[in-house]
Amino acid sequence: MPPILRLENVTHKYQPENSSPVEALHGVSLAVEPGDYVVILGHNGSGKSTLAKHLNALLLPTTGEVWVKQWNTKNAAHLRNIRSSVGMVFQTPDNQIVATIVEEDVAFGPENLGVPRDEIIRRVDWALERVDMLPFRQRPPHFLSGGQKQRICIAGMIAMKPEVLVLDESTAMLDPLGRREVLDVVRRLNKEEGVTIIAITHFMEEAVEADRVLVMEAGRIALQGTPREVFGQVERLRELQMNVPQVTQLAVALSESVPGFPRDVLTVGELVAAVWGLPSPPTRSSTVPKGAASDSAFSREEQRSGRAEGPVIIDIKDLTHYYMRGTPLEVKAIEGVTLDVRRGEVLGIIGHTGSGKSTVIQHFNGLLRPHAGAVTVFGQDMRAADVNVRDIRRRVGLVFQQPEAQLFEQYVGDDVAYGPRNLKLSREEVRARVQRAMEAVGLGFDEFKDRLTFALSGGQMRRIALAGVLALEPEVLVLDEPTSGLDPLGREQIMRFILALRDQGVTLVIVSHNMEELARYCDRLGVISEGRTVMIGSPAEVFGQPEKLRELGLGVPAVTDVMNQLQHAGGVGEVGAVLTIQHALKILIEAIGASKAPRVER
Amino acid sequence: MSEFELLRNVTIGQYIPTGSVVHRLDPRAKFLAGVILILAISFTRTLLPIAFLMVVILLISQTSRIPAGYVLRGIVLGLPVLALVFILQFIFVGRAEPAGRIYFEWGWLRVTHLSLQTIGVGLIRITCFIFLTSLVTMTSTITELTHGVESLLRPFRRFGVPSHELALINTIALRFVPTFAEEMEKVMKAQASRGADIGRSRLWRPDQAARNYLPLLVPLFLTALRRAEELVLAMEARCYMGGEGRTKFAQFHARPRDYAVVLGAIIVFGVAFFAPWPSVTQIAAALGFPGL
Repeated sequence: MPPILRLENVTHKYQPENSSPVEALHGVSLAVEPGDYVVILGHNGSGKSTLAKHLNALLLPTTGEVWVKQWNTKNAAHLRNIRSSVGMVFQTPDNQIVATIVEEDVAFGPENLGVPRDEIIRRVDWALERVDMLPFRQRPPHFLSGGQKQRICIAGMIAMKPEVLVLDESTAMLDPLGRREVLDVVRRLNKEEGVTIIAITHFMEEAVEADRVLVMEAGRIALQGTPREVFGQVERLRELQMNVPQVTQLAVALSESVPGFPRDVLTVGELVAAVWGLPSPPTRSSTVPKGAASDSAFSREEQRSGRAEGPVIIDIKDLTHYYMRGTPLEVKAIEGVTLDVRRGEVLGIIGHTGSGKSTVIQHFNGLLRPHAGAVTVFGQDMRAADVNVRDIRRRVGLVFQQPEAQLFEQYVGDDVAYGPRNLKLSREEVRARVQRAMEAVGLGFDEFKDRLTFALSGGQMRRIALAGVLALEPEVLVLDEPTSGLDPLGREQIMRFILALRDQGVTLVIVSHNMEELARYCDRLGVISEGRTVMIGSPAEVFGQPEKLRELGLGVPAVTDVMNQLQHAGGVGEVGAVLTIQHALKILIEAIGASKAPRVER
Repeated sequence: MSEFELLRNVTIGQYIPTGSVVHRLDPRAKFLAGVILILAISFTRTLLPIAFLMVVILLISQTSRIPAGYVLRGIVLGLPVLALVFILQFIFVGRAEPAGRIYFEWGWLRVTHLSLQTIGVGLIRITCFIFLTSLVTMTSTITELTHGVESLLRPFRRFGVPSHELALINTIALRFVPTFAEEMEKVMKAQASRGADIGRSRLWRPDQAARNYLPLLVPLFLTALRRAEELVLAMEARCYMGGEGRTKFAQFHARPRDYAVVLGAIIVFGVAFFAPWPSVTQIAAALGFPGL
């Protein structure tokens, strides 16, 4: 079969204002066969989005050729054919929806193509059914969740009956549930309708499903192959600022101690099978009780659980809050949330988008006041009318999702100084605080203070926004999904700076969807679902109940899953919830080593 | 406390589904009837006809099953301006047009029959306006309205009225109202978390007020621009190339009751204008209060 997409030595240059031209793509050649599922990885600025925009002639190559079926994208006469054959879904669902009612948005593409009305109606029905959104056809989009909105965008694309669907980081802004919804739909379109998929993503787990994975670096394809081939090259991926799925990391670490252990493991099931497939698989009896004891010592050291013993500084009891109170549109956002924050700890909050967790944290610094129940912050009853909100907000810093959207000053230093200036501090003190805050996020004061705020990279803007809150020198720092939308390197950097604050005695509250991060860093975890706290405890306690989490539609870290499955099958003794790769590695090596040892004696 | 809930007090433009007859009307009929009633309200100058119009509007409001208190909340935002207008009218109308009976005179302040009538009619007129516009928007979805307007304007396309483009611009603008309200709320909260005192600037220092709003407006404009850029890409990716050659998904079919509604509005218009309304003075005289 001839390829459906063909790129021949494509180069793309663009001219930013007042600087030399940048070459975003550098001699990329690629052929995609009909029905392929291709995933493109790469850190921010590696050229992957530029590549995607060449596939439907949103961008044209500076040199080289792009062919969609038999059409060259340079020929404007074929534009309509090209764009109806190659559908594209972007990152932010809100910015792609043009109509105020779901079904009309889905109809927008076919309307543009001049499809007759009867056929549009059929296609809208079909497309909405394919993305499981038929019951929502009359809804206004702003009442839908992110995952639902993104599925509407996909429906709007497939209603044009494209042969290729390009997803340009379409899952970056979604929570795990939304991401799963979108991925299921995409996979089904690929398998059942034969739609060719090209997905650009930062999530390595999404690449596991693909037929082919490409890794971009500096405008070139640096690495390509099947997922197994690509993820086997852990070191090379690290050089390209990519990480590998947690399961693969564990397998690679194991292969270093256990000769012959496969390195190219992609899923939990495969890893468990690989452990059983060893020449001397572990058995329960082989795990010495002493080993288990040392494990719990290990996990305690790992979690520094002593931090969770500090005095309670934020106390929430039976909190209820409504939105649009007193109007016909009133909604109960949370009901009966009970939660406390203790001095010096790292508290993780887990929950779906819409579970009410953002509403809860806005009570921490008095942005919202309780409608029922009690909120006490640093001994202040937040129900009182005369609360010194300014003092509370100084002591409890709140960093919103995508905080870079709050930047407004032209120069970096001024933006960071906004908070301290609001506190009416002296000029010297403001300067000192700005300096400390900027250094705390790794952006040197002298180097960055006079830079233009909006010329920074996405990751740097995120860090400056964080510095803007840090400059208030809060005692508690509340972060709402601090790593969302960043690439792996950006995620790692920002987490490093946040955890350094913990070591300076700042109490941290982190709202996140990333179970692996939460398991690694938190002293306690609270789970909020449908406006209520459903679980609260140490990560080991919370992740020790995988069934309950699964019922809530939440997951556990991949290592925890692997070790749970091994425990159930009797591969290792009762070790509880294993939260980190190091911990899992230690237990597994012990178990495998122990099961080997008696055999040698015999 | 709901200092950050922006949509709470903006009642115009919110669709309130109660499933009433008014909701089920063809939006074109609703729109035409609304325009006719608004014309009637605008040109009525005496008390009784406008009171009659008010009653008609209250009846429609009853039929729509939307709480009148909620509709009236829309007035709250405009109250300061309204108050100013009435104070000015109270002070100046009597002086400027010393016609009619004078009830009260103190220095240059003069309260006349005409000034009271102007104020009374003005009050009812504003309430009617708010009720009517709110009712139309609360009982029709944005799509119904825009498609309705587009469909009404289509005959004028040959005279160069870009009906499709107007409708699309309108839809997109309205589509993003909740998005931007959310965005604004988020930025307000974020800056408040950095110690900002939003909305607490003093009236006599507009320079300070402006500076206080910069941290809100700059981020909002920047996101608006970014969203616009992405929306253009997304629309291009969906083959949007202008209104030519497009087909339409949404269609309306007018039923007898829709024609009846427009006819009803015309009759109300006629009654308000051409019926031999007695003046308030005449009624008072008939009731035995001559000389009012």
